[in-house]
Amino acid sequence: MNRRTLLKILCGFLASATASIVAIPGISFVLAPLRRKQSATVTQRVARLSDLPIGKPVQFPIVGNHRDAWTVHDREVLGRVWVIRRDEGSAAGPESMEVTAFSTLCPHLGCALQHDAKGNQFVCPCHRAAFQLDGSRAANTDPARKNHAPRNMDSLECHVVQDGTTGESWVEVTFERFEQGLTQKVRKA
Amino acid sequence: MVRRFFDWLDARSGFRSYLAPIRHRELPNGPGWWYTSASCLLWLFVIQLVTGLLLMTTYSPSTTTAWASVHFIEQSAAGSFIRGLHHFTSHAMIILFGIHVVRVLLSGAFRPPRELVWITGLILIPLILVWAITGNPLSAGQKGVAQIEVEGNIIGSTPLIGPVLRQILIGGDDVGNLTLTHLYFLHVGLLPLLVIGFLLVHVTQVYRHGLSATSAAQGVKATPYWPHQTVRNMIVLAAVVGTLAMLAWRHGAPLDAPTDPDLMNSPRPEWYFRWIFELRRYFTGEWEFVATLVIPAAVLIFFLTLPALDRLCSRPMSAILRTTIVFAGVGGWGWLTWTSFDHDWRDAEFLASEQDARDLAARARTLAGSRSVPHEGAAALLRDDPKTQGPLLFARHCASCHAHVDASGNGIAASEVPAPNLFGIGRAEWIAGFLDPERIVGEHYFGKTSLVDSDMATRVAELFDGKDGEKLATLRQQLAQVTRALAAEAGRPWQSESDRVDADEISGGRELLVSKFQCTDCHRFHDDGELGQAPDLTGYGSREWISAMISDPTTKRFYPGDRNDRMPSFAKDSNHVENNLLSPRELRLLVDWLRGDWYEPVNRPASDSHTGVSGLAVR
Repeated sequence: MNRRTLLKILCGFLASATASIVAIPGISFVLAPLRRKQSATVTQRVARLSDLPIGKPVQFPIVGNHRDAWTVHDREVLGRVWVIRRDEGSAAGPESMEVTAFSTLCPHLGCALQHDAKGNQFVCPCHRAAFQLDGSRAANTDPARKNHAPRNMDSLECHVVQDGTTGESWVEVTFERFEQGLTQKVRKA
Repeated sequence: MVRRFFDWLDARSGFRSYLAPIRHRELPNGPGWWYTSASCLLWLFVIQLVTGLLLMTTYSPSTTTAWASVHFIEQSAAGSFIRGLHHFTSHAMIILFGIHVVRVLLSGAFRPPRELVWITGLILIPLILVWAITGNPLSAGQKGVAQIEVEGNIIGSTPLIGPVLRQILIGGDDVGNLTLTHLYFLHVGLLPLLVIGFLLVHVTQVYRHGLSATSAAQGVKATPYWPHQTVRNMIVLAAVVGTLAMLAWRHGAPLDAPTDPDLMNSPRPEWYFRWIFELRRYFTGEWEFVATLVIPAAVLIFFLTLPALDRLCSRPMSAILRTTIVFAGVGGWGWLTWTSFDHDWRDAEFLASEQDARDLAARARTLAGSRSVPHEGAAALLRDDPKTQGPLLFARHCASCHAHVDASGNGIAASEVPAPNLFGIGRAEWIAGFLDPERIVGEHYFGKTSLVDSDMATRVAELFDGKDGEKLATLRQQLAQVTRALAAEAGRPWQSESDRVDADEISGGRELLVSKFQCTDCHRFHDDGELGQAPDLTGYGSREWISAMISDPTTKRFYPGDRNDRMPSFAKDSNHVENNLLSPRELRLLVDWLRGDWYEPVNRPASDSHTGVSGLAVR
């Protein structure tokens, strides 16, 4: 190796070392959102069982403290759920009553699903994905359009619980988020 | 003097030799109108830089300030025009870019040695499109935020790298502060720098190799660019900028309602991405990335390889190839775009949601104009607006029994058991129905409730029994006076003036109510009568009265015990408000809406302006 080659290598080394002083923290800074944990599951009582109509979906907000980068919003709406009470009640007590809850986010691209009272379906305003009241994908009312939903609606854990003091039955929903656009229901990390 | 200054400057800097390529530039085929697209694009780019920098002086990217600062720009001197110019110029650049590409294709200007001109030009297309769409959500309006949510999820559903890219762009699970700062960085930082970089290569290459591949035709004299081509460029530029300025002046840029997921909307991409939106209809499920990624990338790669493809063709073949590409490209794009719009224009629900979005936007601007934006952000404008929230709350909590429809039947219909129609509750026209023997048992009042054969209905019927002629006229006149007195109990802010004018009539009505008609046999009215038999008439229809009635109709003051016909108590537990069906805030919004008590820019009874932004609630 002659002197000239050595100097070239030295220049190259010093240049990349200097560049990495900016580049490495720079990349780490840009990738920071990947390391922030966000999705927290929230369990919340949404309604008294007796206030729920039978067979008709009702939307409820899930409320909690929402952290948006540098601000915290107290009691902000974190998301919404559709809750459907299915039957009149049974001998086994209110805990066995069938109540189901779904995320209002369309599993396709996350637009808010609406309840279409005429067709008694859930319909997405973005690409007209349609779901039956049990959350399964429905045939589209317009045959020219395919149902874009990659999977059924995201069902959420949902129980009927008894209030310790008043003895009233409440519907309790565990709210979670799932990745959009996948055929499988994958919880957001 | 000036000449001597420039001579001195040239002697020191040599600037004339730098400018020589521009000064001595020649067009071998003479000037042409087709060539104007390039210069026009460059100057529009400069307009975008200038207007963009001006907007940056005032815009503030965060979820609480973005919409407010954009609204502030709209209110500032020339702000609306500058923002409008920025908006319309971005659309014009995309159209002109399309024309520019067609010109290059038809003239074969991509041929060697101009490959680099072609390649940098092609790379500029997606850059400029992304540059444009990163600007849309910056106002944190309903449409823009819905767009970035969907776009984020489209990125997120790309195989392998999708979720990571989405997370970096959005900055978290939801669109929030970081999404806005990230988009702002892309829109005013990274993308303009990249565009400038590629533009520099593009333009210096054009200077190096000339505009077009066609060699000079016989007998055509080469013409200097300046001023023969320049004057054409300027004519086109002036026409384009003039048109854009007119659009900006007349319409300004749109400003949607501040984003709020509770207010439904149907997001659609901008017109230049409609073709992809339409393509998605053919690729569902796991194959969607074909429409959003593979096909656009394939089109771009095909164009990149065009110089090589072209070299394989003979001259006439090349002409056919290029013309086919232009027609197939423009035709295919146009057809997909048209089909997509056509589908929406036939969709009544979509059109209605667009109308709702326009109504909400207008309402938000009205509210922001009246009292500026509260510190918690622009979303609070509509969240705390009875006119916006009232119909939604009514539809959700009340409309299974109560209707809210005006005389012509517009409004929110009841879905099951028709309890009284609450349109105009507490106002004279509404109260008059209770004192009319037919209307009180009609379906808008007690017709379908257990109160249909109550003492109230019977006693009103008795009043009218066997009366005709002058006696009937007197009775009606007296009842109108009672109605007037009861309507005064509501104490609406805008009726205080007329209450003062009608003070005599009102006190006469009160007198009749107690002494002549003996309403206080059952009702309580100020110091007369007892509670427990029929609803309290003191403060009838006031905010406090309606609020108490909705909170708990089963108290002694309203319908105790089995007198109450199926009306739930919506806010019975004042110690544990979380157990109530309506929160204190919701109750206040609902009551104010029922009373027609909301802000309107002109001084008139708010409830005369119909039912509010109820389009959302009706569906």
